[in-house]
Amino acid sequence: MTKTVHRIYIGTFVFIVIFATIIIGYEGYSYYLTSLEERFFHESHQLFKPSGIIGHGLGIAGSLFMLIGVSTYMLRKRVRKFGRIGILKHWLEFHIFLCTLGPILVLYHTAFKFGGIVSISFFSMVAVVLSGVIGRFIYIQIPRTIEGRELTVREIEELNERISSEIKSDYNLPDDFIYEIEKDVRKSSDKKRNLFSQVIDQYKLYFSELSSVKNNLKKNQITGERYKQIVKLVKRKLTIKRRISQLRTMQKLFKYWHVAHLPFAIIMLVIMLVHVAVTIVFGYRWIF
Amino acid sequence: MKRNNRLFIIIVILLLSNSIFAQLSPGDLSNAHKDLEGLSNCTKCHVLGEKVYNSKCLECHSEIKTRIDDDEGYHSSSEVKGKECYDCHSEHHGRNFELIRFDQKSFNHDLTGYQLQGKHIKIECNSCHNSKFSSFTVERKNTFLGLNNRCISCHEDKHNETLGNECQTCHSTKSFKPADLFDHNKTKFVLKGAHVKVECFTCHKNIQSENTKIFRIQNFEKCIDCHEDVHRGKFGNNCLECHNEISFRNTVNLQRFDHSKTNFTLIGKHANIECSKCHKESYTVKIKHELCSDCHEDYHKGELVKNNFRDCSVCHTEQGFSPSLIGIIEHTKTRFELKGSHLAVPCINCHYKNDKWSFLFNDISCVACHENIHKNEISDKFFIENGCENCHNSDSWSVNNFDHSKTGFELIGTHLKTSCRNCHFKDKQGNNVQQFQGLPKDCEFCHEDQHFQQFRINGKTDCARCHGYFDWKPVNFNHSETDFPLDGAHINVSCEKCHPKKNLKTGVFVKYKYEEIKCKTCHE
Repeated sequence: MTKTVHRIYIGTFVFIVIFATIIIGYEGYSYYLTSLEERFFHESHQLFKPSGIIGHGLGIAGSLFMLIGVSTYMLRKRVRKFGRIGILKHWLEFHIFLCTLGPILVLYHTAFKFGGIVSISFFSMVAVVLSGVIGRFIYIQIPRTIEGRELTVREIEELNERISSEIKSDYNLPDDFIYEIEKDVRKSSDKKRNLFSQVIDQYKLYFSELSSVKNNLKKNQITGERYKQIVKLVKRKLTIKRRISQLRTMQKLFKYWHVAHLPFAIIMLVIMLVHVAVTIVFGYRWIF
Repeated sequence: MKRNNRLFIIIVILLLSNSIFAQLSPGDLSNAHKDLEGLSNCTKCHVLGEKVYNSKCLECHSEIKTRIDDDEGYHSSSEVKGKECYDCHSEHHGRNFELIRFDQKSFNHDLTGYQLQGKHIKIECNSCHNSKFSSFTVERKNTFLGLNNRCISCHEDKHNETLGNECQTCHSTKSFKPADLFDHNKTKFVLKGAHVKVECFTCHKNIQSENTKIFRIQNFEKCIDCHEDVHRGKFGNNCLECHNEISFRNTVNLQRFDHSKTNFTLIGKHANIECSKCHKESYTVKIKHELCSDCHEDYHKGELVKNNFRDCSVCHTEQGFSPSLIGIIEHTKTRFELKGSHLAVPCINCHYKNDKWSFLFNDISCVACHENIHKNEISDKFFIENGCENCHNSDSWSVNNFDHSKTGFELIGTHLKTSCRNCHFKDKQGNNVQQFQGLPKDCEFCHEDQHFQQFRINGKTDCARCHGYFDWKPVNFNHSETDFPLDGAHINVSCEKCHPKKNLKTGVFVKYKYEEIKCKTCHE
């Protein structure tokens, strides 16, 4: 998959999610804003109620999307047999897509009515999604190969060096200027604070360093495409530097994350199955 | 990791224990069904594996079921038939969800089988649909059931159960008053004539209160059930024999009316005249009838009123004004008994004077009627109080009862046979002049001296010396008592030999008296 195809791949996912969110939200806006007691009398009730043609369909589709998103990613990741089908990163993106679209559809399926046992499933789903977002953040904080394997500290250092030499050779910058950049990049926060504050500090540092480098470039009258390319490389360098500094923390967090993400997903699935069973028992079969 | 797993399990258990048994429900039941909350009650409405069947709802809502079975009410209408209960009455939308909600203003009440009309259209639903009018023994909120189509189920019976329960036969929904559907002609008492116009409450007086008016009248077959019998039962109870409904005064069946039942039996001409001749206004207006003059004009202009009482019946009957009851016999009872010629005289001759009848005379003397042709010629001595009876009587004008001897001139002989007129009336120069007073008793005043005053002595001729009263013969004459007594042959000689007649222009002259009585006077 080329970069462009990947962009289309991602863009399609994003478009579908945003389009589905907007179109359903737009169509059901009036209904969803109606109070629970009044909804029955809303003209779109038969469509958008959780057991309605659209509402129920959204629930089924959302659930299936999540099931598919989870199961395919799980199979690709954990079953050796499927280990060579596609790139894990793309499966993850597909997983994220389905497990983003699915909860959105389920959210519309609930018609923003959160109660009863199924709400556990819903909030579990919300927890899974949020943890997914956090997990995705943590995930990208840990440098990986294109196959998703975590890089070692040495591999990361080498990557950093490679970028430094790239800047030096490709853009023919004077040594003292390279030194300045390196000096800026090597700044680090020594304060020992909690995890969240550390992450925030890292980002603050990132932006202050980037700003310093940009100023330095401007001072040396480096502009145009050259400026952009150098900034891009510096960004990568700063990112790598930040990730190296957070690597331990992120690796630790990632372990914890697994504890949250998966169990919530299981709770969600279990209660969703109960919910589905109950609806079938009480005669709700959508179009079937 | 182990600690994390434990924490996870605890969370799951907590979540499940709190929720799974209590909150399978997709939402709170409405207030009406709140008692059905709980897992164990699901199947009271739901059939497992199926949706909610109407039969489940109707198991509890038996009133609706009954009405549907009876094909009555809104739930049997075309709008509802074939629908599921939950299509309209959904659940699990929260405690405050209105299970029954519809636009009360636009609701087509016709679908309930009870068409709203008139004022029912305007009033609020809860004016009728409230527990006050509901047939439910237990007060139930939020239900439109419990009413029936009968007016009385909501409206107070203003007639206190006297007119039945079918209010709509008289009243429309436009307004209670007036009862515009009421047709009195469909009752047992068809309104006719004036009954149509009178106010209801003129007859239907049994008003118990402003709000309770009893219209049923127990007795109405007879007029007197309502109307006062002004005749006090005299004419019986069937007023319609004389009156009709148009007006009490507009009497009918006059031909059948028995006037004898009144205080005035129609007799004679009264029986044949038009009623209106007497009853000028209405027949029911009382008219005075005790006296004839109450109706009839007093022909006599009050002349015969006596002691302020005019009793026409003394003279007249109902058979006619004329002739009157006063005949000859009755006239004898008056001050003036008819006698003689008066018996033959028509009444008019005496009682019709100056173009009017007059029956009462203050003066009943003869001269009151008859002309006194004698004027003042009759001496008061013989004309006492204008009475003519001294000379005349009612049999005839002839004087037949006058004692002429009272005058000092007794009528004797032929005088008795002689008409008064011959002596008392003289034709003087063409005028018939009467004289009764101061008439000289001398014969020659009346009689002509046929002897050419031969026997006058001292200016007077005394006829009685020779003549009597019975004829002209000189019965008192004795020739022997004269200067020449007859003797001898003179006795047999006819008078005319010595007293010859001599025709003169003025008459026949007989020479009785001679200046010298000598033979040669007669003899040659």
